[in-house]
Amino acid sequence: MTPALEQTLSVLGLLIVAAPVLLLAVFLGAFLLNRRPGEELVGRLIQGTIAFSLLAAVGAAGTMLWHRVAQHSIELGDWVITPHYHLKFEFILDLLSLSYVTLTLVLCAVIGAFSTRYLHRERGYHRFFVLFAVFLLGMVTASLSDTVETLFAGWELVGLSSVLLIAFFQERPAPPRNGLRVWVVYRLCDVALLLAAILMHELNGAGDFDHLVGKHAWPAHDPVLIGPHFTLLGVLFIIAAAGKSALIPFSGWLPRAMEGPTPSSAVFYGALSVHLGAFLLLRVSPVLDSSPWLSLCLVLLGAATAAFAYLAGRVQSDIKSALAFASLTQVGLIIAEIGLGFRYLALLHLLGHACLRTLQFLRAPSLLHDHHQLENAIGSRPREELPGWEHRLPANAQRWLYRFALERGYFDSLLDRCVARPFVRGFRALDAAEDRWARWLDGEPAPAAGRREP
Amino acid sequence: MSIPASFWFELTLALPLVGALAVACVQPATVAARWALGFLLATLASALLVAGSFDGARLAGPPGFAVDALAAPLLPAFALLHLITLLGTAKSRVSSRFCARLLLAAFIHAAALTCDHAGGLVGLLLLGALLPLWDLGDRARPLRGYVLHMILFAGLLVAGWRALEAGDTARGLGWLLLALLVRGGIVPLHGWVPRLFQGAAFGTAMVFVLPVVEGIVAVRLLLPVAPVWMLDWAAVACLVTAVYGGAMAVVQDEVRKFYAHLCLSQTSLLLFALMLHTANSLTAALCLWISMPLALAGLAFAVRALEARFGALSLREHHGYYEQVPGLAICFLVAGLASVGFPGTIGFVPMELLISGSVEHGLGVSFTLAVAAMLNGIAILRAYFALFTGKRPTTSVSLQATAGERAGIVLIVVLVFLGGWFSPGVVASRHHTAEKLLERKANGPAGAPHR
Repeated sequence: MTPALEQTLSVLGLLIVAAPVLLLAVFLGAFLLNRRPGEELVGRLIQGTIAFSLLAAVGAAGTMLWHRVAQHSIELGDWVITPHYHLKFEFILDLLSLSYVTLTLVLCAVIGAFSTRYLHRERGYHRFFVLFAVFLLGMVTASLSDTVETLFAGWELVGLSSVLLIAFFQERPAPPRNGLRVWVVYRLCDVALLLAAILMHELNGAGDFDHLVGKHAWPAHDPVLIGPHFTLLGVLFIIAAAGKSALIPFSGWLPRAMEGPTPSSAVFYGALSVHLGAFLLLRVSPVLDSSPWLSLCLVLLGAATAAFAYLAGRVQSDIKSALAFASLTQVGLIIAEIGLGFRYLALLHLLGHACLRTLQFLRAPSLLHDHHQLENAIGSRPREELPGWEHRLPANAQRWLYRFALERGYFDSLLDRCVARPFVRGFRALDAAEDRWARWLDGEPAPAAGRREP
Repeated sequence: MSIPASFWFELTLALPLVGALAVACVQPATVAARWALGFLLATLASALLVAGSFDGARLAGPPGFAVDALAAPLLPAFALLHLITLLGTAKSRVSSRFCARLLLAAFIHAAALTCDHAGGLVGLLLLGALLPLWDLGDRARPLRGYVLHMILFAGLLVAGWRALEAGDTARGLGWLLLALLVRGGIVPLHGWVPRLFQGAAFGTAMVFVLPVVEGIVAVRLLLPVAPVWMLDWAAVACLVTAVYGGAMAVVQDEVRKFYAHLCLSQTSLLLFALMLHTANSLTAALCLWISMPLALAGLAFAVRALEARFGALSLREHHGYYEQVPGLAICFLVAGLASVGFPGTIGFVPMELLISGSVEHGLGVSFTLAVAAMLNGIAILRAYFALFTGKRPTTSVSLQATAGERAGIVLIVVLVFLGGWFSPGVVASRHHTAEKLLERKANGPAGAPHR
């Protein structure tokens, strides 16, 4: 590769990220100056930013195809460097990153255009687009990341913006409650990603993916990495991905995430955010090859998630939840494909599914309207064709399956019963004991009223 | 002819002290607050000049005080902390006495940071412990629990210092370490921290807890000579407190108790990093010492502004304050996330450094730290949702942020993001200081300061 070509690709790669950064800087500046840009200006800023990034991404992809360049790293230098530790921000342009970033930008452009009309005169219009910009930056950063720290930064931005958008309709009690629930799952799984980052530093002395998988372009990689450390690393990546992609046993948050406005549900849980776990596993796929047990575990996890989501989706009574579980079914299959080693197939599946699901989510509100018109016209509900296999099961099994699907696999209640409630009860009891002790020390009488149960 | 740096250093020490004396005599309270603001701004400016002109060599000031690599960046950070505390105090809650206490605290913290005599440092710490007592007395709140804890702290501190003076190093270090654990609110000696936040003025409690002055004793007296096993045990206690504080913050129903436990968790993380005494962890601790108090002060700024409008805040229900004070909501979220090391903020690099650096002591330690950070993050978002989401209350008067609050919000948000941007430079300088501290430890008792 000539230096001029290298420089061109580096500039194009940086422009993809720079546009969302600038957009956020503009929003931050407006906040600091106590200015509120108009709806039209916000819409234009969003569209302009995405168009700019998209042009840069397409330009980079075209240049790489033309010059037959398989991958190009963009080093931003060492952010923090000490003799014992260094923190590096680095981006990579390759088939995986450019495919995912292009998908991100195309879908964000569609959703952005849709949202400017859909949320017109909505009270939280500006809030939505600020969070949308944070999400965009997070996705672009995570997609192009070549170090685990860069990925972590993008991953966290995506998580935060998703959670705040779930709580978008904040006057109702359910959205913030569900947002908090999703945040808890995200934070739990972020611990796994953070530990994976630390382990990568321990194994390679750096968080660069190419130290882990070699200098080959994705999906090729150096000879298999073997050892218990790599297996542990793989497990940590799988846990992180399971949280972000709502795989079993973390699936409970996905239908809860549908509390947000339709455009955010479409772009986050139908298309991009829910696939970020699969993207992570594709990026670190050589680690998964280090142990057949990891691959097997991934196949089983994907298949079980797909089966569960199919069943749960069959009994949903609202269209967004049904679509969410349909998404999850496909995500489960993508994960199984990654476990089986079909990397290109998984990538293609991911791209196709994200586009289709976005379309379905955006069509959902008007589809319901059409459906009501149809019902009014024919005077009754259209007959639904039931698939045959469920009826072949014994009645008991049918009932059990129905209950299982209706209760969403009992995963939520299991996590509640085994983790959340003991935690809250235990620490509230400690808090009460601490309070009694402190009051005794202060010589104050204990309060008459008892504490509220969690 | 240029003004020598030692002059700015003398000003940094003298201004808050003179200010405290002057402000105590000024009435009404609003005028006293303006005077205090002026003194604190001047202190911040002189502290910035000291830090800016510090070239690595020890900068002597008044007898018994000197600026070294540890103190240079912390002087402006502490001055800023006191300034943010004053900016966050509502006009209705400010008083001449409060301003005097704040300025006195600013003086004590700057003096403790730069005091190069062990006896002086001990005296300043004991003096500092009297300020919340003064506040609790003023407000006629129960103070026996606080007094008992502080008597224990003072007794252990003085006993440790005297034992060290007498050459009984093992016993002296033990007493000193225990004193630090009491002052740091390490479990199970932490009961006074939530009670202080509930009883005293928020500003008084936060300037007592957030600067982690016990860390100065740890760095100056303990780390150079303490045996490794002793520091390791203290580190375990701090780590347990970090997780415990985080978990307790998650389940709190009152904002002040939530904040107190969050402070406990965060300050324990700092003490933990100090006790690990490796180059990475010390670098992380020195960076956290700048980022953590500022981030938590930003969080307190939003909470105090809300308290000034709506009174005591509960986390049991959703209050819906976002629509009325969106600026405070953003301030709360940004500062809160910075305190748990969210990417792009002032706390990100120190937290990364701490968690990654701790892996030398085993992946289990890193895991526990990550769990503590996770719990703090959950607690912050839970509090955010409780305060800022929900049905908005109807009020007959505007509750928008005042001009002073607006300035405070801008200052905090800019600090959080600019701090994130300039983290690399800070880390490099802090790493150099950490290496020096470790060298002193390698030299043993010879490296310790004068007793």
